[in-house]
Amino acid sequence: MHGVTLALSYPSPVITTETSTKASRVGSEDDLRLARACAAGNTDAFGRIYRLHGDHMKSIAYNHLGNVSDAEDAVQEALLKVHRAADTYNGEAAFTTWLYRVLVNTCYDAMRKRQRRIQEAPIDDFITSERAGQNIDDAKRMTLRKMLADLPEQRRSVFVLFEVEGLSHAEIAGILGISEGNSKWILFSTKKQLQEQWKRS
Amino acid sequence: MNIKCSEFDNLLLEGDPHSMEIAGRHAQSCEACLEKLTAWNEISDTARDLRTTWTNEMLWPRIERALKQERRRTGTRYWQIAAALILFAGLGALVWVVQRQSHEREFRNVILTATAIDDVEKAEQAHRQAINRLEKFAQPKLEDPSTPLMISYREKLMLLDDAIKECQTNIDRNRQNAHLRKQLMAIYSEKQRTLQDVLREESHASNQ
Repeated sequence: MHGVTLALSYPSPVITTETSTKASRVGSEDDLRLARACAAGNTDAFGRIYRLHGDHMKSIAYNHLGNVSDAEDAVQEALLKVHRAADTYNGEAAFTTWLYRVLVNTCYDAMRKRQRRIQEAPIDDFITSERAGQNIDDAKRMTLRKMLADLPEQRRSVFVLFEVEGLSHAEIAGILGISEGNSKWILFSTKKQLQEQWKRS
Repeated sequence: MNIKCSEFDNLLLEGDPHSMEIAGRHAQSCEACLEKLTAWNEISDTARDLRTTWTNEMLWPRIERALKQERRRTGTRYWQIAAALILFAGLGALVWVVQRQSHEREFRNVILTATAIDDVEKAEQAHRQAINRLEKFAQPKLEDPSTPLMISYREKLMLLDDAIKECQTNIDRNRQNAHLRKQLMAIYSEKQRTLQDVLREESHASNQ
């Protein structure tokens, strides 16, 4: 069984000026070197990526797929895809943006494949039980997770990446291949929709 | 800064700290907007708590293994592609050699056929010249026919000459048509027989 711990600090969605600056830049020399190492199948390069972004990747995958096992599979599959496609990385976006784009697309594929399974069990009971007893309102969290599971792919991604993972709209735009304004609008309309459901619940 | 309730959504859409601060100030004096903002913030606060991480010591070794397998598979795939390319190149070369040999054979056949036809034509020409020589002997008798039989021989020979000309024209158009050649040879044979008959008739008449 996986040892599950809570992330102790959560970046505020509005305090993301630093990440926003990062997202707007194109891929650096470092990024290109990293991509070349990935294309060559350098395990150390993948180890570095996993150390730096593994937690983020797991969280993004978990919030898309709803369970630990699928999330880990998605992270693994995304890294394999990075290995296969790293030589196509041209540095137009930051490597992390490209990495998360691959991950989110992998999650979409997995969601389509396992749609029924996710609808049946969207919440990982193990993590839920680990979190019980903390100060956070567990019922609210479960409610929100259920509401997220019903959202269309893109809306869910924008919400998860902004509100949960604390990425900026610039980063989200790069990851999902949409404009920054569109990302803002999708988040706003998604939150309006959730707000209605939230009030009812 | 005072705002109207109708502008409240625009601030939420912007979502930056400054806009949220203005929205917060407005909400303090408007119960409906306060309710909206509370739900809005509650969703954000709860969402932040959805960030999940866990430690699975087995995950990285699993990924590492999968990457190694993938690399091996890729390597094998490259070898397979290279082997397929070599095989295709080999097959291509083989087909090229076979085709070339077949072309050479065809070319040789064409030359041989042409040579054989030349030989046939030479023989035919010699045959024709011999018949023409025979015709010269019969010519005086045919020019001045003394009997109705000689007149009919002359007409027959004229017909045969026309037929030879027509046949020769057709052969010039298609040298390799064996049927036409046979036909021409038959006409010449007939002409030869007729000329022999003419000469025989002449000697028979002189004997009498």
